[in-house]
Amino acid sequence: MDALHDDTLTLYDEAFASRFLLGTALYPSPTVMQEAIRAAGCEMVTLGLRRQNPAGGDGEAFWQILRDSGCRLLPNTAGCRSAREAITLAQMSRELFDTPWIKLEVIGDDYNLQPDPFGLLEAARELVDQGFKVLPYCTDDLVLCQRLRDAGCQALMPWGSPIGTGRGLMNRYALETLRRRLDVPLIIDAGLGAPSQAAEAMEMGFDGVLLNTAVARAHRPPLMAEAFAEAIRAGRKAYLAGLMQQRQTASPSTPTVGQPFWHRDGG
Amino acid sequence: MATILTTTTDHVAVTGAGLLGRLFAWQLLADGHAVTLYDAGDLDVPPAAAWTAAGMVAPLCETAISERCVHDMGRFALTQWPQWLQALDAASLWQQHGSLMVAHPQDLGELTQFRHDLDHALGGNAPCQPLDAREIHRLEPDLAPGFQQGLYLPDEAHLDNRALLTRLLDEIRALGGECHAHCPVETFPGEVVTADGRRRFDLVIDCRGTGARPRHPSLRGVRGETLHVQTDEIRLSRPVRLMHPRYQLYVVPKPEGRFVIGATQIESEDRSPMSLQSSLELGSALYTLSPAFAEARILEQGVNLRPAFLDNLPHVTHREGLVTANGLFRHGYLLAPAVVCHLLAVIRGHGERPFADTLAARPPQENAA
Repeated sequence: MDALHDDTLTLYDEAFASRFLLGTALYPSPTVMQEAIRAAGCEMVTLGLRRQNPAGGDGEAFWQILRDSGCRLLPNTAGCRSAREAITLAQMSRELFDTPWIKLEVIGDDYNLQPDPFGLLEAARELVDQGFKVLPYCTDDLVLCQRLRDAGCQALMPWGSPIGTGRGLMNRYALETLRRRLDVPLIIDAGLGAPSQAAEAMEMGFDGVLLNTAVARAHRPPLMAEAFAEAIRAGRKAYLAGLMQQRQTASPSTPTVGQPFWHRDGG
Repeated sequence: MATILTTTTDHVAVTGAGLLGRLFAWQLLADGHAVTLYDAGDLDVPPAAAWTAAGMVAPLCETAISERCVHDMGRFALTQWPQWLQALDAASLWQQHGSLMVAHPQDLGELTQFRHDLDHALGGNAPCQPLDAREIHRLEPDLAPGFQQGLYLPDEAHLDNRALLTRLLDEIRALGGECHAHCPVETFPGEVVTADGRRRFDLVIDCRGTGARPRHPSLRGVRGETLHVQTDEIRLSRPVRLMHPRYQLYVVPKPEGRFVIGATQIESEDRSPMSLQSSLELGSALYTLSPAFAEARILEQGVNLRPAFLDNLPHVTHREGLVTANGLFRHGYLLAPAVVCHLLAVIRGHGERPFADTLAARPPQENAA
């Protein structure tokens, strides 16, 4: 039996067998996207509504393609630059998709799409109050993450590095701090370019990985999706198995053969 | 009813007077058939995506975001268009001066990625020349200084698409084609149904783009927005594409100081006017390429839907009395020659049927159309 058979990711009291979430933008075609989603084995996909004129229902043809994937849809508020915009869009997406789940994004910088921590916290508080299950896309700042948790977010999505950069886990120290200090599920969202980086995040004890560009812009997206899926499972297994700690072997700590023990301290 | 037209007396209905419809009607009239052309909208200012488009024939530019077959069909277009334009006595509408790609210094990674994607798709021998600032200036002296690196794709072309559509319509009328504007239709094998009733034909060709939704359940529209501006302060000799991490926009020069800048690509069937966000993106890309665009006049904000199947590739179907062609997505002028030549060979019952592997394959997730 597979070692991960009983290992599930629990978000807002719902269990998911897959720890891999995919975004649905930037693919060469819906067909390629569908193949990538299948190859990834993911159970949840995100979708951006902001520019689709959601109030008019004009994205329906594309949304139906996503529904046909069988995955849970996680609408996001990508492209929103203020708490107010994000709240309005979240309310609209709740109506459209009949779901209280929302991946909350409030963008602070147009060029690197860095989250605005202030607007994010404000929107998160409001949406939690309104009964939303909020998954906020945030930076790796400990205090921000604590505040989001205190606001009622039962899972957080800190970045590895800025969206679309493929730079991996830019600040391992900050991410390790988050992992040690927070007991809510943490999903690394954005910035991953290579499966090895996803494995690294999982080995550190992160609960899942969400990405888009690295798969969608690969020359063969389904193959890259599979590569990430395997890396995420490998990283998870390694975390559960317990990684050995790195050892310092530059200076021997025990006597080596042929070296008299009384010489240990260089004496 | 037949798929293959054998006598020149056969009467053909072409439904949809966009780029495909006009090319079919023209070619079949030239073959000696009687042709009736229908469109749900206007013929002089057609609602077709082909009217909103910029008219680029840029197989390499599109390769990085498309399948290999799009490139191959695009290369076919580079040889077919000049022949057709010659036959239409409109050779001057064709401009083949290559295309230029530039990026801001902080976005040079986008050019590297494009080069990488191109090499992967075409095996490293694509006609694509890296340029430095001096060479960029030599090709397009009016571009803003500050573009340190670029790529020149010498084979690529663009055409004056609106003049072409008008020229095709004139030719169709001159050859005796019967044209019906503002006439929505339903298509059936050997039959067209309009508000006035049913009419029999020997063959019906359905190329209504997103209008053919009833016939193609998996067909969707993908919103695209373009700005049309006019200024005499700047001249460009070829399409220029600005590479940016989140959008790739191109500006295509047109006669009389006009430029088309496009296009957004949004997974929505929203036909409402351009959003401010999109106008900011298009406008600032234009302004970045040259501040001389600042005083250009905005003539038009184009919005249209690109017809697309799930694989974003064109597909044709043919059976007794009815052929369909659809799904050219963002590649109308790039792919129309391949699609039209393929189906004309089917209809004429002779000649090579190019790109049959792609075109004759059924659209994904669609049963017989």
